[in-house]
Amino acid sequence: MLYLAELTGNAEVIGKGIMLGAGMIGPGIGVGLIGNAFMNAVGRNPESAKFLGQIFVFVAIVELMALLVFASLFIIK
Amino acid sequence: MILTRFAAESGPAVHIAPIGLFEIHGVTITNSMVFTWVCSLLIIAVLVYVARRLTLRPKGGFSQVVEIGTDFIINVLEGSLGDRDKALKYAPYFVTIFFFVALSNILGLLPGVGEAFTYHGAPVFRAFTADLNGTLATAVISMVLIQYFAVRESGPIKHLRHYFAGKLWNPLTYLIGVYEVFNELIRVFSLALRLFLNIAIGEIIISVFSYLGKFAAPLTSFPFLFLELGVALLQAYIFVMLSVTYLSLAISHGHEEDEALEHTAEQMKVETT
Repeated sequence: MLYLAELTGNAEVIGKGIMLGAGMIGPGIGVGLIGNAFMNAVGRNPESAKFLGQIFVFVAIVELMALLVFASLFIIK
Repeated sequence: MILTRFAAESGPAVHIAPIGLFEIHGVTITNSMVFTWVCSLLIIAVLVYVARRLTLRPKGGFSQVVEIGTDFIINVLEGSLGDRDKALKYAPYFVTIFFFVALSNILGLLPGVGEAFTYHGAPVFRAFTADLNGTLATAVISMVLIQYFAVRESGPIKHLRHYFAGKLWNPLTYLIGVYEVFNELIRVFSLALRLFLNIAIGEIIISVFSYLGKFAAPLTSFPFLFLELGVALLQAYIFVMLSVTYLSLAISHGHEEDEALEHTAEQMKVETT
């Protein structure tokens, strides 16, 4: 019983750590893919560099997932 | 937020939700509401003053900043709707929402907003966009107005057919239509959550770094203040950009020139859902 209580005490920290680590993988890959696609496009056609503003929109869409994970860190008790 | 260290004796001051300050006839007035009233009055006063001293030849100063922002948003609208007349027609709302979001983001970064002034242990001011209720209200107003614009542009029947496109005897039409309507509701939440999380987490990061800095708190939180200044403008731009994209989606009805736009929006839809 005492051991169980100790486990739940640590489970919060472990759970938060796993959540932060696992949840940031997806957005990281997503932002990387967007940057990759943008640099490829600019390399092929330098005129497409003017779409940098739209790239930020897509980055923000992907970033939302990462922010959700980060916010859950403070909400989960 | 620079002054956070005076209140942050035990751990950084992390608040996700606003805190109620006092009650008027059973309605709780929260700190973000107080800030929003002050902030709205300030924004209205500044923008009315700027609008009165606008001249044909720019004088410089803050009015030039407002002019640059207005021109920027009109260009965004023109790029999305593909027509300068249409862009000028819808400019008033989108320019307003851009300046409202941008200025309330920036005013939320001022020292004094946050833990500096407290009333019964609760901070008096909290940034408007760092409150989910505020951003949700902004997003709901945005999406409702977009629906209104779309209905005014193409009539109610044609607007409904925009969702339930295809042959009416086909049950798949209704399935896809319901999904499309549901998608509109998801857009409200994604708009609201994006703005809220960016600003709220920016505040948390500033407060964490000013807590870690101890006596050098202004020094350690200074770079993050500048980062948040960029994020504030970027988030206002993204909010307007996405609203404009949703508007251009709602008022376009499969014209040939809108094919590219539809394609972008389809990609965007995939990313959001």
